Order: sequence, then structure tokens, then C-alpha cells
Amino acid sequence: MSMAKYQLSSVQASYGKTPGVAIDQLTIASGELCVLVGPNGSGKSTLLGILAFLDQPGQGTVSFDGVPVNWTQKESVSLRQRVTLLHQNPYLFSGSVARNVAFGLTARGTRKKETKNVIHESLEKVGLDGFESRTARRLSGGEIRRVALARALACQPEVLLLDEPMANVDRASAELFESLIASLSAGGMTIVISSHDERLAARLGARIIYLEDGKLGRAPEPMASACELHQSEENHANS
Amino acid sequence: MSFLSESFRMAIALILSGDSDVLSAVAISLSVALWSVVFASAIGVPLGVAVAVGNFPLKGVVRLALNSLMAMPTVVIGLLVYGILSRQGPLGSRGLLFTPGAIVIGQTILAIPVIANYTLTAIQGADERILPTARTLGASRLQCLLQLAHEVRFGLVAAVIAGFGRVVSEVGVAMMLGGNIRMYTRTMTTAIALETSKGDFAFGLALGLILIVVSLAVNSVLTVAQESYRA
Repeated sequence: MSMAKYQLSSVQASYGKTPGVAIDQLTIASGELCVLVGPNGSGKSTLLGILAFLDQPGQGTVSFDGVPVNWTQKESVSLRQRVTLLHQNPYLFSGSVARNVAFGLTARGTRKKETKNVIHESLEKVGLDGFESRTARRLSGGEIRRVALARALACQPEVLLLDEPMANVDRASAELFESLIASLSAGGMTIVISSHDERLAARLGARIIYLEDGKLGRAPEPMASACELHQSEENHANS
Repeated sequence: MSFLSESFRMAIALILSGDSDVLSAVAISLSVALWSVVFASAIGVPLGVAVAVGNFPLKGVVRLALNSLMAMPTVVIGLLVYGILSRQGPLGSRGLLFTPGAIVIGQTILAIPVIANYTLTAIQGADERILPTARTLGASRLQCLLQLAHEVRFGLVAAVIAGFGRVVSEVGVAMMLGGNIRMYTRTMTTAIALETSKGDFAFGLALGLILIVVSLAVNSVLTVAQESYRA
């Protein structure tokens, strides 16, 4: 059995107007691919914010790689260098695409030569090879998403958190995202995706984490069955 | 009308002749204004950033104070600093009163609220996603703030220019703390006030024209920079 990447215990959080969460127990294994599903306002983004170490829960314990998180400034920065969240509506900094993709690497003190290679590889992964010198602010919506994903991948995180990555993207981008997620997951990366697409978990063979009113629940039957059916088909094909 | 046109002609002639009094007043004005803006920016920009992004008790009071200080009459600041720098004041032994240094101190105090408020406004108008994006990419607090400053850099330049505009055109502080000493603390504005009161309207007009050109030049640089950024 793989080690737990995250262990959440009696976690409660609410931040102003954003929906809160109240989770008794949640474990996400290392290398696991999870899809966070739930209606609007169920607390998916709040949970992702906690998993990304951006927001400290009001109560409860979050452990990462078996170590309880203390939420000190120094520790949070260090953990954020291992976990990257791609926001639903990503922001690209002013300047070139290369400058955006290099941001996380610069923050980590990566050498320039290595940075250049990583930028190239990351953009290639998202199908934007040759976009390095383009002005980030002049890209289309789909291209912005891809650059933001390349920027997240360039950080080479242990955990990738994706907030509605397939919302409002064209079919080609959605397919690219799905195949990239599948290949990253196969490579051992822990991935948590929040999505409204109930069939996404089935297509990716992912575990469903169902949230309703901030609490973990059992996924509605058709969603759970679709996922189980897909996983049994996958197991059958592998055997 | 002939008085105005004659004064204007004499003012232009004074500027073109390179009159030493005119040049001295321009040099002193620019020098004290630039140093004041440098010091005021070093304090005002971080102060504006801190008020914009920080959460601390009495934040509202600090914002209100910064807003109120924007409208502080220059002579009042001059008066307060005069009290501190005069012989009986706490810093009287330093002998700073009636030196360019005293004007720099007064004008720095004058420019800080302007620069801090413009910085605050620039950051409040910035995209809310900048800091969370930088944070999730593993940036430290300082790196996040530097990135935020980079994203609003033209707002920060506007803050510095506004501070410069405030100090280069003021009279009260320069008059009270500089003493209007010829070739030493006489700035463009104090020279205009003095020479006009003495009846030398052409001299005042010459300096007034230079002051307008300086203000236009500074604003043009800012506008060109902003336009090239948007292009």
C-alpha cells in the first residue's frame, strides 16, 4: 500500500463568503489520481486551497507525507514548492510566456541554463512549443490555460492540484489536458482535480471524492457506478 | 497687455542668456526635489504596499491618516519641521535649518503620504489573482510582493511622479526651512515669490516657464512609458 500524501483529520474551514468545509477524515495516497466532485458551493475550491497550503483551516490537522503541517510562513512556502495549484481562471503575469513559465523556477533559485530547458520541455508538453517569446497577455483563453499548466508543470511538483481545468476550454485542449493528466499520473504524480464533469473520473480511472455542503459524501449512484465500471474494465484489460 | 508680452519676452531672454540666478534656482529645485522623492519613495512605497496587503489593527486609521496628510498645508509641515530643526528644537544642534538638507527633510514628509496613497490605489486596483498565483508557484512573501510591485510598476511610477509634482511646486516648506538664501537654498518657487514681490515679474515668469516645462516633461515621460507598456 502506498504511503499517504495527505491526511486530513477533523478539518474545518470557512473563509468569508467562500463555502466552508468540514471533513472528519480524508486520506489521499501518494501517486493517487482523485477527482473532487460536488455541486456549486460544496467547498471544492476551499479544499483545494487547503491542499495547496494557501489557506490554513480553522480547526483540525493536515499531514503531508506523514508530517503534521504547522502552517508557519517558512513551512508553508517550503510545502508550496512541492505542491502546485492551477486556478480555475489562471492569471498570467505581464511579460513573455517564457517569463511566466520560469516564475516558479526563479522562486526556487534554479539556474538559468536549466530554467531554459525546463521552459522548453514544459511548453512542449502542453503543445505550445515555440511560444516562449510571445506576450502572455495577448494569448487566447485556451492558450492562457495551457501556459498556466506549463508554468505549474515547470515547478515539477509532487502534487498537482487542478481547479476545473477543463471548464470553458475547447475540445482539443480538453483532450490534451486529459491525456497529460493520465500520463503524469502514470509517472507517479499525485493529482487532485476538481470538476463538474461527472464522467471525468471514469475516463481517467480516478478515485472520486464527493463533497456536498463541505462534507464528504457518497457520490450519486450513476457517477460511482460509471467509475467502478471503468475501473473494472481497466483491471480486466490489464490482467 | 504690453506689460505681459514685454515680461514674456524678457523671461525668454533670461532663460536663453543662461542667467546664473535662474540656473541656480532650477538646479537647487531639482536637486532637493529629487532627493526628497528618493527618500519619500523608500518610505512611501513600502508603506503603501503594507497598508494595501497587510492585516493589522488600526489599518483604517492609518488609511485615513494617509488621506488626510495628502491635504496637509505645506506651511504647516514647514512649521513643524522648523520647530524640530530650530536651535531650541530636538535636532537644533545639527545646524540643519536654512540648508538644502532641511528642505529635503520637509519635502520628504510632504511627499510620503502622496506616494503611499498612490501606491495603495495602484495595488488595490491590481488583479486579485496576482498574490495567490505567486504563492502557489512557491514564491516567498518577499518574492510575492516584488512580483506584485512588478505587475503594478506603472502605478508605482505614477506615485513617484505625483510625489515629485507635489514637492517641486511647493513654496511653504522651501521658504520656511530653506530661508530663500541666494545660490544656496533659493528654489524656483521661492525665487518666483521673492522676485515678483520685488517687482521683477520677468524673472518670476522665466522660472515659472521652466517649472511648467519640467512638469510637462515629467508627465510626458510617464505617459510615453505607459503607452509603450500598453502597446
